[in-house]
Parts: sequence; structure tokens; C-alpha cells
Amino acid sequence: MNIGGEHLVEAVKYLAAGICMGLGAIGPAIGEGIAAAHALDGMARQPEMETSLLRTMIIGQAITESTGIYSLVVAIILLFVA
Amino acid sequence: MLETLGKKLILYLEVPGVPLALRSLDLVTVAVALAVTGVLCLGAWWLRRGLPADPEAPLSRRGAFLIAALELAETQLLGGFPKKLARELLPIVLTLFLFVLLCNWVGVLPIPYIASPTQDINVTFSLALMVYALVHVYGARQRGLRRHLRSYLEPYPFLLPMNLIGDFGRTLSHAFRLFGNVLGGAILTTIVAVKFAPVLVPAGLNLWFGLFVGAIQALVFALLAAAYIHIAVE
Repeated sequence: MNIGGEHLVEAVKYLAAGICMGLGAIGPAIGEGIAAAHALDGMARQPEMETSLLRTMIIGQAITESTGIYSLVVAIILLFVA
Repeated sequence: MLETLGKKLILYLEVPGVPLALRSLDLVTVAVALAVTGVLCLGAWWLRRGLPADPEAPLSRRGAFLIAALELAETQLLGGFPKKLARELLPIVLTLFLFVLLCNWVGVLPIPYIASPTQDINVTFSLALMVYALVHVYGARQRGLRRHLRSYLEPYPFLLPMNLIGDFGRTLSHAFRLFGNVLGGAILTTIVAVKFAPVLVPAGLNLWFGLFVGAIQALVFALLAAAYIHIAVE
């Protein structure tokens, strides 16, 4: 088998994409869980504000997810473009 | 239908002396974006047409719907603004929201070559740059050009590079959030449909990523645009 430099580059690209997306998925999940926990606290304390709290929670989680999306974009670039 | 995966229809214009990246047109993006604009214009024309010309006449159902929808948008999207500025900004922010919403929802349709325009980084980056220009225009208009430029030296003058990089980072993240969500959802749905579970699961994934995440990201895009303008105005 002739294994050359380009095979190493291919292998490292796949490995890097996997590590990038895997590590990048930890942070947003923890952050969104904390946001949901505080929103649940508020809903338990004041049930009449439930829809307003839910809407704010969804928006806050969408912004918290941004950095996870950045690592997804880098992983996609590593897999398909580079 | 799967033969069209990964293929791009790009039109190369023959203009001498211009680099290749500047003279290529992604036909799908442009065509679908124009179609979405056409649908929005048709909807606006149809809604406007149902209103009576006389302001004293009793409201039709379309008029009541329009008033309710516009007031909802104004309270939700432009809550913290002073009244006059909110009325000025309502068209642009609501148009941003509706355009991004329809662009995201178009990607749900299982037509072979149709893809969301927001899957293209050019579209989202152009929208983010437009919001950045709007921030400067409204900041300069509300507070005067000199005071708007001096606000970059707040709170300390040596923090000027940090403020500039912060602006750059906010614009980039504004563009990449929308782009990454839509493209990531499309790629995940495609891969699951091709490799893992071709029956029923892609339909659920398409509904989630296309409709729900698309709507949430459109709302976040418009809300953040309004928030950036709010920061510059006061």
C-alpha cells in the first residue's frame, strides 16, 4: 500500500472536523440548560408570566447557540471545502 | 432527485479584467431570493388593496388584521424605542424579519434545485452589512455625527480597538448565526435522508430545522438588528 502525505492530510481533516464539532457542542448545551433552568424557576414563581418567559427563553437560547453554530461551520468547511 | 445534491448552478459572466469570484452568480440563490421578494410584494399589494380609501369608513377584516399585526410587531420587535423612531424603523425591521422568514421556509420544499437563499453566505453577509450601515446612519442622524463617532471612544479612549473589533465581531456573528443554522439544518437533513433513515425521519427533521429553527432564527435576526440600532441611538 502506498500511503503518502495526502492520505495523512485527509485523515487529519476528518479527525479535526470531528474534534471541532464534538468539543463545540459542549458549551452551548450547558449554557442553554442553565437558561432553561432559570426560566423554569421564574415560571414556577409566577405562572401568569409563562408565555412571556418562554418566548424570552427561546430567544436567549437561540443567541447562546451561536458559538455552537460557528464550530459547525468550521467542521463543514474542513469536511467539504478544505 | 438525489443527483442534484451538491451541485451548484453558477453563471459566469464574461467580463474581462474582473476576478472570477466577482463575476459569478449563483442562479438558485438569486432566482429564489427574487421569487421571495415577488411573493412579499404581492402579499403587500393584496393587503393594501383591501383597505377602503376613506379613513373614516369602518374597518374591513384586512384592515383590522393589518393593524393588529403591525402593532404586535411594533411592541415585540421595537419595544424600547421612542415612539417616533419606532414608527420610522418598523418597515425596515419587519421587512428584514419577513424576508428572512420566507427565505428560510422556502428551503423546506422538496423541489430538486430549490434551496434557501439564506444557505448562501453572500445573502446573510449582505443583510448583516446592511444592518451595520443602518446602525451608523441612525446613530449619526439621532445623535449627530460628531457625538456618534466620539461614542467609539467611550468609556476610555484606549479601548477604541476593542470597540471596533466588537463591531466587526457582532456583524460577523449576525451573519454566521443565520447562515450556520440554515445550512447546518439542511446538511443534517440531507445526510440523514441519504445514509441513515430514508423514511419519515427526514420529514420530521425537515419540519424542525426548516420551519421551527427557521422562524426562530428570523426572529432573532430582526430582534438583534433592532437591538444594534437601539445601542447606537442611545
